[in-house]
This record gives sequence, structure tokens and C-alpha cells, in this order.
Amino acid sequence: MKTRRELLRELIISVGGITALAACGDAPVVVATATGEAGRFHTPEEMELMARLAELIIPRTETPGAIDVNVPGYIDGLMADWAGEETRAAHRRALAEIRRRLSADGGFLALDDSEAEILLAELDRAAFAEAAGELGGYRTFKGYVTRSYFATEDGAREELQWVAVPGRWDPDVLVSDRQGV
Amino acid sequence: MAEATQFDAIVVGSGMSGGMSAKELCERGLRVLVLERGPEIVPERDYSDNLSPWQSPNFDNVSEDEIAQRYFRQYPGVPYALKESNKDFWVRDDIHDYVEAEGTRYEWLRGYHTAGRSIMWSRQTYRLGPQDFEENQREGVAIDWPVRYEDIVPWYEKVETFVGIAGSEEGLSHLPDSVFQPPFELTAVEKAFRQRVEASFPGRNVIPARVAHLTDATEEQRSLGRSNCQLRNRCHHGCSFRSYFSSLNATLPAAERTGNLTMVHNAIVQSLEYDPESNRVSGVRVVDAETSEARTYTSRIVFLNASAIASALILLQSQSESFPTGLANRSDQVGRNLMDHVSGAGAAGIMRGFDDRKVFGRRPSGGIYIPRYANITETDKPYTRGFGYQGGASPLGHANGQIPGIGRQFKESHRRPGPWRISIGAFGEQLPNPDNRVTLHPTRADRWGNPLPVFEVRYSRNEEIMLEEARKDAIAMLEAAGCEEITSSPVNLTNPGNRIHEMGSARMGRDPASSVLNGWCQAHDVPNLFITDGAFMVSAACQNPSLTYMAFSARAANHAADLLAEGTL
Repeated sequence: MKTRRELLRELIISVGGITALAACGDAPVVVATATGEAGRFHTPEEMELMARLAELIIPRTETPGAIDVNVPGYIDGLMADWAGEETRAAHRRALAEIRRRLSADGGFLALDDSEAEILLAELDRAAFAEAAGELGGYRTFKGYVTRSYFATEDGAREELQWVAVPGRWDPDVLVSDRQGV
Repeated sequence: MAEATQFDAIVVGSGMSGGMSAKELCERGLRVLVLERGPEIVPERDYSDNLSPWQSPNFDNVSEDEIAQRYFRQYPGVPYALKESNKDFWVRDDIHDYVEAEGTRYEWLRGYHTAGRSIMWSRQTYRLGPQDFEENQREGVAIDWPVRYEDIVPWYEKVETFVGIAGSEEGLSHLPDSVFQPPFELTAVEKAFRQRVEASFPGRNVIPARVAHLTDATEEQRSLGRSNCQLRNRCHHGCSFRSYFSSLNATLPAAERTGNLTMVHNAIVQSLEYDPESNRVSGVRVVDAETSEARTYTSRIVFLNASAIASALILLQSQSESFPTGLANRSDQVGRNLMDHVSGAGAAGIMRGFDDRKVFGRRPSGGIYIPRYANITETDKPYTRGFGYQGGASPLGHANGQIPGIGRQFKESHRRPGPWRISIGAFGEQLPNPDNRVTLHPTRADRWGNPLPVFEVRYSRNEEIMLEEARKDAIAMLEAAGCEEITSSPVNLTNPGNRIHEMGSARMGRDPASSVLNGWCQAHDVPNLFITDGAFMVSAACQNPSLTYMAFSARAANHAADLLAEGTL
């Protein structure tokens, strides 16, 4: 498995390498952006911030992490192909607010994992402590990260143990039983 | 060879009730034509149930711009079901327009294709109870049903045996048991909820949702290519296993194998022709959805199964000297008494103590059902009729990232998913009101020349009070079950039509002066015309109605076949 830095260097912005339909059109559009470029929606700075956040929220463990499965690319496709103007603007505002809160321009992106985790965990706590405040955008972003991760083949199969055809219903499984969903 | 235009019976619509009408008529040996206004669905080509999550970009969501342009009325009511990979199952609002009377809202959610909405439904399946056929008379509401529960029991049994319903025998007189296949067992949280609620509220029951999924397929069902549910919860995309009931999975194949079925797609029925000499429908005029070519089919009997609204529109469009306000409309009841169920009240809460539990398999369609108790086992209510709750429990860890934490612990919380949240939402009965109606727009028409429908439907104070009480009751039951962090939004009634249970627009009754149909779903004014979609309903009850539509369809079809055999028709 490649290192995080290698992956970030080689990040290909794509939607799982498959074809998506363009918004409101019938013509298929291959969703892909080359290494080091801006996303189809996001600026390079936004892509960098999203990648760092996604990696901290869902790190590589015994199973692939958010960067391994290209969550930033998924979110870029989401904003380019699915989101309308209002959602795009809200997302952009959310990233700006996160950047401000984390002082991302002042070195957050250069921190090592343990230091960065402390800062992000603090922001996460604040976001879930308030009912509906200015960190609602962070919660939405975290939702995108989580849903994107589990919508990828590795996230679904390896981490969630997702199986296509369960074939039976067991309403009461002890969590210690490692079993799919 | 020219297409045949003469049949024993014509069934308009291939959905939930039309499929059953066609099956029963075909099995009685009649040559049946089914007219479907939309295109053909070919499961192997058109179902998307075998796609994995990573094969559907953007979480399979339709883009927000496309929703705003094409699905602005369909999507808000069914965001859980209308996806990018199955969006063609839903009508486009920019093409299939309608008008809402000033100050009113209506959500007409539809699918135009083989099997209609039976391939998109949510499959909760309940009988009406004896009280549902009696309360109009008892309370002096609208008119009396011309039939009673006992009249329908044999037809419920026949249809249920064919359809396949997973459920548990509970012995409740007001929500009678169906012919069941094994239920989807409740989760540990749901079982605890049941035990605590039933202990605190004698007269209230928490039962497994009754759903039209095969769990122990019969030989007859297997002979139609159907097999047991595989617990994928991909039902809104069709089902390649044919496990859930739809016309396409069950009734239409059963009709087809008799050799008596002819099916024509893209055939939009514009009107029924009437012969005053014989007092019969003499022809069904259609326009081709693709070519706009007009043609007429004839038959000895006609079944309208186009949906409660569309069947009423067809009658209203069928004007003649004999019926200047629409065919079979001497009572002036066609298009009136339009009902749906009403939601918008419920509650959710956290059940502690089950963090070490999860499930295997993705249970389709619902977990628990709380049958109506209001004005049955509890009679202290400030409203009439009642509601049932649908709900279920699921682990909070599956809440799309909306839980605190980051890093390994957050990531792995999705496989250690506790705590659990349980939620319940009410489905209430809407009372019939002749002023709630659909009419034809005097000037505006669709691209095929058919007048646009105009909806004017409002809830009564009874529905508003009922749902406020349903919210209070939901909170009380969650509290009694020991839930924490209970949340309950202020009551916000769903728009009429939103529950997709529209009915009542050509009600049955004993008196031709106040009803469109007799107790056999046969038009009082035109004996060879039958209507067995939701239009015949005299009151709405609060249970999901598809099973009742099918039971009445089977009953009417066999009655019509008897009348033909006797030479009465």
C-alpha cells in the first residue's frame, strides 16, 4: 500500500473511475482530473484541505482510509455533477469556515497527524455540541466524507463488510461477531 | 396482420389493481386487452437493483438542477426512492403537468410504464378491519359502504395467497391477520420497545410491519419465477428475484401464461365511448404516446384501473349527450371525495442498552407497525377515526457521519453501530369531503390534448387535531419505552397526495343518486363499466390500501365474468 504522501501526490480526481451522467443531460461524461490540477469544482487549495480533513476523519487503519479510496475526488464529482448553486455555495462557505477555524493558512496542513488530530477533534466537538450554528457546514462536509467513503468499493466491502446479497435476515447479532451488513 | 381491436375485456392501467383485474379476467377465460399509457419495462434491461454503491456516482442522487427542472413535484415526496439509476420510473413534472387551486397543494406522484406504481411502492400491506366499513354509517359521515368486511374476506385470502405477505398472526379484530408467510423478525430494540409500550398502554400493539415480500415462496409463486427476499433493500429499483409483489413480478406474468392477455403500451386513454341504445361503453379511445395516432378498441366490459385520479379524469373527459358532465357521473360524485392518508407527526429517540447488537441483512420496507387504537381500544379522543404508526429502529452509527468523533474510533463506530434510534411516524385517516376534488382545466391541455387536472384538496380540522394528538402519543410511547434524547418536530401535515394513497374519486354506494359504483365496483349508470382502483373507496381507513384495491379487483373481475357467463352483460 502506498504512503499517504505518495497517494496525495498521485491523487486522481475521479468518481471511482466510472462514468457519470452530466447534470440534466443524457450524454455520458467521464469524470476525471489529472494529478496536481484543481478539481472540476474545487480549487487546488480546497482539494488540499479536503484531503487532509478526510484523511483525519477516516484514516487508514487495517483497512483503506479516505485518501486510499479518493474521497476528495468523490466530493469533487459530487459538487461538479450533483450539487446546485446553493449547495455549492454552502459547501464553499463551509470549507472557508473550517479553514478559518483551523487556521489552515497558518500551518494546519503542515502539522503532523497527532497535532492535527487534536485541532480537528476540538472543532468536531464544537460542531456536535451546538444545535445549529456556523459549524453546520462542517457536519455536512463530514457527512459527505463518510458517505463517500462507504460508497466506494473498498470502504463498503473492506471496512463495512458490505455484501451485495445478504440472503437472510438476522435481527440480533452480537457486535463481536464480525459480519457484514 | 393488423392489431386486434376487439376483446372480451379491456383493462385500463397495468398497475397494482389493473394487474389483478387482468389476471382474474384472463384466468376466467376472457380475452383481455391491457392498455398501459407508458412504455414497456423489461426487467433485464430496466431494473437497476444489481448495482453496487460504487457503481452509482453521487450516491445515486439525481442532480439538484435536474430535480428542479424535471422532478420538482415527484422528488420532495420520495427522496428515498427516486434515484439517478431509477429516475425513469417516475414521471417528469415538466411533461406531466397539473394545476393546484389557489391556496392548495397537491402532490400527484406517478409512474407511467408497465406495472405502474406497483414497481415503486413501499410494500406495506394491511387489511382493512370491520370498523373501517362501518364508521361512515355509525358517525353519519359521507355515505355508507355498500359492503362489509365479511364480504371481502374470501377475496383478501385469495389475493394474499397469491401475492405473498410477510407478517405475524396477532389476532387483532381491528387489523385482521392476512394469509401470511413468516415475518421479518423484530430487532432486539424493537422487541424491547414492543414489550414496554404494550405494558404501559394496554390496547396498543407493536407488531412487525406486514410487507409484500416472499419469505417462504409457494409453488405457485416459484412457478412465476419468484423467489424469497434476499434482504438487499434495493426494491425501489425493481427486483430481479421477483421477491416483492408487483404487477410485473406476479399478476401480469400470471395473466400472460393463460394465453388470453394482450398488452399494448404507450396507449393513453382519452375517453370511453358510450352507446345510449345499449347503455354500454362501446369503445375505448386512445392516443399513442409516441405517435399521437388515435385509435379505438372495443370490448364487452371495461375495467378502469388507471389510478383513482386518472380513472376519474377519463370519466370526466368522456362527455356525451347522455352524460354531459362525464360518463357514469349522474350522481355528480366523479372526481369528488378525493382522499389520501396524512402524515407529518412522529417522534424519535435513543434506546440505550443495545450497543452490543447489530443486524445482518438489509430489511426491506419497515420494521414495526402500531395499529390504530384511537376510537377502537381508546375512546377518549378529541377527533374521529385514527392513525397507525410505521417505524423502526436502526443503529445510530449508520447516520451518515452525523455522530461526534474523528479517526479510528469514528471510522470503526460504523461496524460497532450503537446506540440505537427508534422512530415512529403516523399515517392518519382523511375524512371524505365532496369539496375535495379533481376537475378538468377549462383551457389548458397536455401535449396529447387531454385537459390538465385541477386539484382542490384541503384537510379538515379533524386531520389537524388528530395529527397533533399523534405527535403527543408518539412522544409518550417513546418516553414509556425509556428512550432518551427524544426529538419530535412540530406537526407539519404532508401535502395531500404525498402518501401516494389517493382514493375515493368514484365512490361506491347503494344509491345511484349519491355514488358512482355499486357494491361490485360496477357503475350504476353503465353496467359494463367497472372501476377497481382506489376510486371506489368510500372512506380511507388509515391502512396502506393496495391490498384492498386488489381484493376488490379480484372480486369485481369474477363478478363481471359471472355476469358475462350468465348473459346479463
